[in-house]
Amino acid sequence: MKSQSRIARRTVLRGAGVALTIPWLESLNAAVPAPKRFAVLFMGNGVNEDQWSAKGQGASMQLSKSLEPLAPLRQKINVIDGLFVKSLTGQGIHPAQTGSILSGASIQRGPILRSGVTVDQMLANTIGQDTAQPSMVLACEQPLTGYHETNFSMAYSSHISWQSPDSPVPTEVYPSLAFDTLFENRGVMRNASILDRVRTRASELSRQVSSTDKAKLDEYLGSVRDIEKRIERMRIDKHKADEVAKGSNKPAWTMDRPANGLPEDLREHTRLMCDIVALGFQTDRTRVASLILANDLSAQIYPFLNVREGHHSASHDNLSDGYERITRFHLSQFAYLAQKLDAMKEGDGTVLDNSCLLFLSNLWSGRRHDNSRLPLVTAGGLSGAIETGRTISYLGEKDENRKMSSLYLSILQKMGLKMDRFGDASAPLERF
Amino acid sequence: MFRDLLVVAFLSSCLHAQDSFVQTVKPLINSYCIGCHQGANAAAQFDLKQYESSGAIAKDHARWALLEERVAGMTMPPKGVKQPSDAERAALTNWVKTFLKQEAAKSAGDPGVVLTRRLSNAEYNNSIRDLTGVDLKPAKEFPVDPTNAAGFDNSGESLSMSPALLNKYLQAARKVSNHLALGMEGLLFAPHPMLAETDREKFTIQRIVEFYDRQPTDYAAYFEAAWRFKNRAALGKPSAALDDFAKEAKVSSKYLPMVWQLLEESNEPLGPVAKLQWMWRMLPGAQHNQMDAVKEGCVKMRDYVLKIRKLTAAQFRSPRVVGLSGTSQPLMNWKLRAYASHRMDFDRTALQVEGESPMVVPPMRPAFGVPTEDAVASRNAAIAARLRVGDSELFVPSGQRKAYEASFARFSAVFPDAFYIRERGRFYPDDSEDQGRLLSAGFHNVMGYFRDDTPLMELVLDEEQRKELDRLWMEFDTIADFTTRTYVQFFFNQSGEIEGRGRESGSFRPSDQEVTSERVIFGIRDAYLAKASAKDDELGREAIREHFARVNTMIRGVERARLESQPKHLESLLQLAARAYRRPLIESEKESLRTYYRSLREQSALTHEDAMRDMVTLVLMSPDFSYRLETAEPKQVTQIAAPKPSCRKPAAVATVPSTKLLSGAAMASRLSFLLWSSLPDAELSTLGANGDLLKPEALAGQVRRMLKDEKAKALSIEFAGNWLEFRRFEDHNSVDRTRFTEFTNELRQAMFEEPVRFIDDLIRNGKPMTEVLYGKHTFVNAVLARHYGMNEMIRIRGAEWVRVSNARFYGRGGLLPMAAFLTKNSPGLRTSPVKRGYWVAKTLLGESIPPPPPQVPELPNDESKMELPLREMLAKHRANASCAGCHARFDGFGLAFESYGPVGERRKMDLAGRIVDTRAEFPGGAQGSGIEDLLSYIKASREKDFTNNLVRKLLVYALGRGLQLSDEPLVESMKKSFAENDFKFSALLESIVMSLQFREQRNPAVETRLKENPKGD
Repeated sequence: MKSQSRIARRTVLRGAGVALTIPWLESLNAAVPAPKRFAVLFMGNGVNEDQWSAKGQGASMQLSKSLEPLAPLRQKINVIDGLFVKSLTGQGIHPAQTGSILSGASIQRGPILRSGVTVDQMLANTIGQDTAQPSMVLACEQPLTGYHETNFSMAYSSHISWQSPDSPVPTEVYPSLAFDTLFENRGVMRNASILDRVRTRASELSRQVSSTDKAKLDEYLGSVRDIEKRIERMRIDKHKADEVAKGSNKPAWTMDRPANGLPEDLREHTRLMCDIVALGFQTDRTRVASLILANDLSAQIYPFLNVREGHHSASHDNLSDGYERITRFHLSQFAYLAQKLDAMKEGDGTVLDNSCLLFLSNLWSGRRHDNSRLPLVTAGGLSGAIETGRTISYLGEKDENRKMSSLYLSILQKMGLKMDRFGDASAPLERF
Repeated sequence: MFRDLLVVAFLSSCLHAQDSFVQTVKPLINSYCIGCHQGANAAAQFDLKQYESSGAIAKDHARWALLEERVAGMTMPPKGVKQPSDAERAALTNWVKTFLKQEAAKSAGDPGVVLTRRLSNAEYNNSIRDLTGVDLKPAKEFPVDPTNAAGFDNSGESLSMSPALLNKYLQAARKVSNHLALGMEGLLFAPHPMLAETDREKFTIQRIVEFYDRQPTDYAAYFEAAWRFKNRAALGKPSAALDDFAKEAKVSSKYLPMVWQLLEESNEPLGPVAKLQWMWRMLPGAQHNQMDAVKEGCVKMRDYVLKIRKLTAAQFRSPRVVGLSGTSQPLMNWKLRAYASHRMDFDRTALQVEGESPMVVPPMRPAFGVPTEDAVASRNAAIAARLRVGDSELFVPSGQRKAYEASFARFSAVFPDAFYIRERGRFYPDDSEDQGRLLSAGFHNVMGYFRDDTPLMELVLDEEQRKELDRLWMEFDTIADFTTRTYVQFFFNQSGEIEGRGRESGSFRPSDQEVTSERVIFGIRDAYLAKASAKDDELGREAIREHFARVNTMIRGVERARLESQPKHLESLLQLAARAYRRPLIESEKESLRTYYRSLREQSALTHEDAMRDMVTLVLMSPDFSYRLETAEPKQVTQIAAPKPSCRKPAAVATVPSTKLLSGAAMASRLSFLLWSSLPDAELSTLGANGDLLKPEALAGQVRRMLKDEKAKALSIEFAGNWLEFRRFEDHNSVDRTRFTEFTNELRQAMFEEPVRFIDDLIRNGKPMTEVLYGKHTFVNAVLARHYGMNEMIRIRGAEWVRVSNARFYGRGGLLPMAAFLTKNSPGLRTSPVKRGYWVAKTLLGESIPPPPPQVPELPNDESKMELPLREMLAKHRANASCAGCHARFDGFGLAFESYGPVGERRKMDLAGRIVDTRAEFPGGAQGSGIEDLLSYIKASREKDFTNNLVRKLLVYALGRGLQLSDEPLVESMKKSFAENDFKFSALLESIVMSLQFREQRNPAVETRLKENPKGD
């Protein structure tokens, strides 16, 4: 490593990979329970409904063709059928069916965007404050923000994470930038720099005033020093943990910084994004992530699947083999991430065991634009809070008992938040 | 007038006062007072045994003043105990009075120790509001400020800093900086965060649309102004100019003459100009006194203009290119430009000339789904044709086409078919389906905006307004980056149409920077040109070339504009810092900030925008912003040697001044936090910086000016709110809302605002502050009016507040019967005469009443479950002598309020169904019933207490410290001035602002010396 003094941090990281050992958290204090993580992977435009089903429980669960890639993990997944978001029905197709997929809120048409805080951002604002990065919001497709013919903004189709009712979180589409954000600790370092100057000024003032005033300014000075110390301690602890882990002979896992720009091939793009989520979870730099594999009204193309049309066009013929291959491709990305996390030992289990991952689409059937039930798979037991290896159906139940918001509320509660309502739900999901 | 502190410190230990204390006072105290007032359980916690010297008395002057009052008023010693003779009583009280007066005079005007402190939460919020122009209220996340002994949260006596609070300060500063936008000329702050692209678009679009909506574009207004000019003589303004009428009607000075000319030019024989002129001449003259008819006539003229232009507006479609869709962006933009540049033109095919072939009405297509260009064009043609066919306005006699065309052309040149386009849907110009797509270009799915306001620019706006609108559009690009993002979305979504992989496909995906490079832009242009290679595609090719040239020029222009504005942002930040720090920055500070910016750019590799956000955060985290430093005045003080002072030489010999005048900037700051609870505005800062503020006339003038400003409402909220203890009422949640369903958040808010508006009216309109007690009026909104049973007021619209002059009729008027106080001083399910009475005695009248002893049993919570009425349970207070000592002073006041229930509602029965009894006995024996009698009692016996209390409270609030003995002369002169000026609040403010206490500070150098040499030996 070159001397760091005059070289910008970006330059240092550029071209250099990040070699990491097992999570520093574990090596530092084995008695501390592993953190819980949450991630949602989204594929727009629905599935091939004929090939999306599961029967049975546990080791004998039977998975349909599109769900086959999850076979090795059947004991750790739940295939859930019949849930939906009521406010996303009956207002029009596409953006009006997507705008609050992770929040259950009512959305509005016209120039002013309005939805609700999504489940992942709710987590980012709470447990996310304990990690270097509150959450990751990623996508493999650029957003569109014009108007759909229903007069709903296309922003609803290309964003699934909302930090406030007025504002979707911009997605990061470039893997290299997602990687950088994860490791640069930007926010904290910027604050440290500001505090340093503030402390200097407070110190200067303190020397210039009367003794009684000095006591007041010293309160300020002391408080600044206190916060600076905390930041420094965090850095030192992390560094110490890295050193300890290095010395304890455990296998390392490396990831190079992705090249600048967008990958040519969608397969590489999705794989890189999944790797970054896995890395973030493993190093505990973040515990919350959302990833759009394909937007609603997606224009992704799949030449490597021998499909001629773009994703959205193909979804109009969603019972075709071509669309089944598209569905299965995206589901495989989910399986890839889940397996990667399952290969990372943590405590008595794996990172996957301490996580809850969701795979979700905004439609069931693309050709009928039917979203009265949504395709949904979960993976991971959230440290035992979620029973896995089940197929659960809510089809035929009252709308009250079929809310996606209830699922989100259950997850929020199981992740430690004290809440009794979320979105349009005032009770957690039964049987979950 | 004012002597050396150094000397003062030693006078109090001189023999003079001490002797007479020992000889006169101590024996009397020992005889008549020490019996009860001594030791750990001293009555009223006033242990008189501990006072061994007159110096100790000087330190505890407030309680000794009380002692004097009680003894002179014969309430102490209490009845039944050995009483001093009249001569002894007089000796004691005179000694105390004289002593205190002498002590006060010795150091009269001493500014005292005013601790430096952080801003209070209200001051923080108001400062951010005034710095950014947006009322962000970041301090609503901060914990509630603790108050000092006087109940105020604006002094160093109670305000402190901790790491937890500082962390919140950091979050707040970051939050404010997230609202930052980089304008062309300097820094801007948006009402919402500006980090997401969708937010930046929202902000910049909103500003443009609001600008448009503010412009005078109603033809009727111009016709009316023209009519007024025409009839100016009859209207009594024979020599007024046309422009005077433009200004009066608030219409464009540029456009009105054009309209006038068209209406008045030599009579046109035919066409729409002729008809309009005819309608114009038919308007009644002013002498007929028919203004309604004139207005109606102007409206009819406007409607005529709108109709003609709707019938004749030009229509366009995108150039046809074989192999490219008509909705392809380069082609659509050609169409949009055509519309934009023909608004002052007209469609010649709209005219139906006798003898020429008749107009054909094509079939109407539905407006549905994703439109093709053909569908849009033919639908609009059909709509237009339907309107035009058979409309006689468009009939032209045979052979006169040319003449009529001339008239239509003239008409259209003055009356554009639209001044600006504020929204555009898929089927533009038919917008029946898609509304609210502000500034949209009308593309499908991808973003796109289009500026179409040439007539507004050319006809209506003056030079400055044109610059402003240009700047707003430029900032739409520099802040929200719309041209680049439109192009990027186009690139990734429509470029598939030329790559042959279907409409929605992305082709090559270059790295971040390259997509918008000139090379890539012209590369894709060439691909489009290749598609438009047929001979007939010349127009299409021209459209394509122009489109990409324009995109490239605009993107490069935005890059340049951003670079050019960067230094302006830095300058703007320095100005922000000066305003935030409430003083001019010295050169080294400015240089230091510039250097920090450079290090953020170079060493930390931040973008310019991120660096600016960090700079704003830095300014808001600096103690120069978050701390009140006026009386600290950190500067180098030169050390001057002073000879040792001695008790026997009272003359001032030291040459170090013990006080000094605050600087102009410090005065500006102190004044503005007093009157506005916020930082100074430009005028006050300037006067402060150049020192002119220190002149008495300037100070008085500023006080007057600042009181007129609405920001002075802060006095009613921060001063009166804390003084009268209703400051936190907006969060009051002790009311049982299931029992009192009327107590909604709206009612609570209205209850809070009532005293604010009432007091604000007294303060800012120079009315007597005694109206607080005796006022017969109040202010209500709809919700409060309903609560007060003011039935005819309920028709007030939503947020409106009105003054009710005859509030007495409803049992209201003045502060006492206001629901806020009655509710706050009720525990939830019953009234509390004790709390209400105590509030009157303590907060209004300023009585010092010690707290109750610890083991007093609680009264029941719920009145409906009480067996005895409240007043009978309270009667036990008065039966017990040790309770009565205090309770006799306020229980009676509280009972007078019994006809108002727990939420201030008027009632005849209490919650258990008993008839309320408002009889009360007031201190001194007077009897009465209800508020009216309470007020009579106060007017007869206690008004001086009210004014004395108000004066002292305001002084504490203004000085930011508790009162000391040396303030007594000022208090006396304030009371005098108050009475002489009809109890106007402004008189008190002026006295305070002109006082030495307010204008001076203790010299820090003296403090240090005193510390080093406490005994002065």
